[in-house]
Amino acid sequence: MAAALLEQVINGAMTGSVYVLVALGMVLIYGVMHVLNFAHGVLFMLGGYLCHFFLTRLTGNYALAVLLTMAALAVVGAMLERGVFRPLQGNLRNQVIASLGLILALENLAVALWGPNALQIKVPATERLVALGELRFPLQHLLIIGVTAAVVAAMFVFLKWSKFGTALRATSQDRNAARVVGIPVERMDVASFALGTALAALGGALVGPLFLVFPQMGDAPMVKGLAGILLGGMGSVPGAVVGGLIIGIAESVSTLFLPTDYRDSVAFAIMVLILLARPRGLFGVRARGEP
Amino acid sequence: MLMRLVILLAACIAATAAAQDKVAVGIVTSLTGPMAPPGKFQMNGFNLAAEEINGAGGITVGGRKYMVDLKVYDTRANPAEGASAMQRLATVDKVPVVLGELHSGVAGAEAPVAQDYGVPLILTVPTGPNLTEQGNRFLFRVNASNDQLNLALVDFIQKQGWAPLSFIAWNNDAGRGGVNGMKKLLGDAKTGYVGYFNVGEVDFSSHVSNIRASNARAVMLFMDEEPGSLAIKQLRDAGLKTQLIGTLAMGSDRFLKRLDADRLAGMVQYNAFPPNADTPRIRSFSERYKKKFGEEAHGFAAQSYDGLMMAAAAMQKAGTVSDGKKLRDALAGLEHDGVIGRIRFDAKGQANPPVYVTQWCANGMRRILYPESLKADCGAG
Repeated sequence: MAAALLEQVINGAMTGSVYVLVALGMVLIYGVMHVLNFAHGVLFMLGGYLCHFFLTRLTGNYALAVLLTMAALAVVGAMLERGVFRPLQGNLRNQVIASLGLILALENLAVALWGPNALQIKVPATERLVALGELRFPLQHLLIIGVTAAVVAAMFVFLKWSKFGTALRATSQDRNAARVVGIPVERMDVASFALGTALAALGGALVGPLFLVFPQMGDAPMVKGLAGILLGGMGSVPGAVVGGLIIGIAESVSTLFLPTDYRDSVAFAIMVLILLARPRGLFGVRARGEP
Repeated sequence: MLMRLVILLAACIAATAAAQDKVAVGIVTSLTGPMAPPGKFQMNGFNLAAEEINGAGGITVGGRKYMVDLKVYDTRANPAEGASAMQRLATVDKVPVVLGELHSGVAGAEAPVAQDYGVPLILTVPTGPNLTEQGNRFLFRVNASNDQLNLALVDFIQKQGWAPLSFIAWNNDAGRGGVNGMKKLLGDAKTGYVGYFNVGEVDFSSHVSNIRASNARAVMLFMDEEPGSLAIKQLRDAGLKTQLIGTLAMGSDRFLKRLDADRLAGMVQYNAFPPNADTPRIRSFSERYKKKFGEEAHGFAAQSYDGLMMAAAAMQKAGTVSDGKKLRDALAGLEHDGVIGRIRFDAKGQANPPVYVTQWCANGMRRILYPESLKADCGAG
């Protein structure tokens, strides 16, 4: 039982890490632009496909392919901000509709470019099995947890101590005040979108070798990532991290006690329970002007 | 003068058209969406059959030759799309017969439409047992239903003494139906852990822990190629040595390419069509298929090939290329020597083709274990 519990916690930490990467990006974009980008899941999916492309067509090096994927999707994210979300600024409803439209467009683009069949990303180096006591995990599984932890740490340092990070935070706290002190808020919008999309791309590129790359691969991480954000507190970066991990670990551990069909219900039941106790989520704070 | 020329020209065109009469045959399948990969095998079977029928001069009905023209609709594993495609085929395209479908749920939506318009629907892949239990006289099924597959598989499993048997299954009609059917035959005492997953789920780690804890002798994987390869990889990577039992999607060279012989060795799967079997009809089909598509023949293709061949035979027998009701009666009484075996529909429209169990050898080949009479060693499955 102890081994099974440990196994599920490690499994949950891996799925939770993936949710964290998606949630972090969504929270950054939401914080700065106050837009919930529902297309974040398909950007995650594009990360998987682009990583496959870069790995098989350009470079045989997985690490390099992941970095190229992040860079390429950062550019895509910046273009989406300029081309889709900025023209609709000030109209939340249209921005949400546009992000839903992007799901259809990008998902079908992937089908048109790569076909409907799932692709495999073969990385022999990370297929190696690592023994933890009597349990065995593919290296890639542990890599996802490790890389996410490193990215989260880097994000905290970046947001807390760098000048650029401070400017991002300032913009998310009060757009007008940020403009008054000379922060180019439009550039912050582009930056948040590029950064958020690169994080989603990292998620897709990390999950690809462990599972498969297919057009719907981003659906579940997007929904669960969103649940993590709500649970952690809308707009809170630590909240997104803790929320994503809680959802991931809770749904994995629940399968030891409940039929696996209840896994999704468990994730959302926990979200509802926490929101009942703390309506603004674990780390949520009342924003200026909110009741 | 000009008028006469035009009439002459028109007559000429009409004459050439008559020399190449066409009969449109409706096809419902998945070209996109989650069922697109098996849909490709289905279409390969139909295309090969159509090409061979047309290459031999077409279907002869009432002294005239008709070329087969496939009218293909993509139903995308969506019941609403299936019903509307079926209706369109019956009313707009006015086809005499419709074949195909992969998804039992979609087939369930198409079947009543077929009945309403009196157009026979020949299923070549869906396995949901209740499809042929609705008293629908216009529905036929070439392939074995889950009940028939389960009966053979449980017979095999019981002979091997593999109990308790655990399951990982699709959370849909095919998966839940399959598990319930096998549980009924095995009895609760011989059933271990049962876990379901949704289409599109890729992480089987929770099932792996539960199967390890349940001490199952064997695990049945009710799923197709993509989740199947992930489940096997995750089970083996976690160090489980449990006997694996798969569906017919897992007995192909394509599947081997997704994994490796080490992880597959010893696994068994039921199969409607062992492509390497030393039977003349199978060998010949496999050769023709490989020549056209450059890959190993697939059971879905063989079943679909036989379906279209039967539709053609029924048209010749009924002497019509337009009357769906006459075609239905012809199909009901037809006996056909197909690639998958002797096909004859029972009173419910269900055929009873042979079901095989094949096993992966350590060298990446397959042997036939069941039925006993067709047992053959590595390289035959």
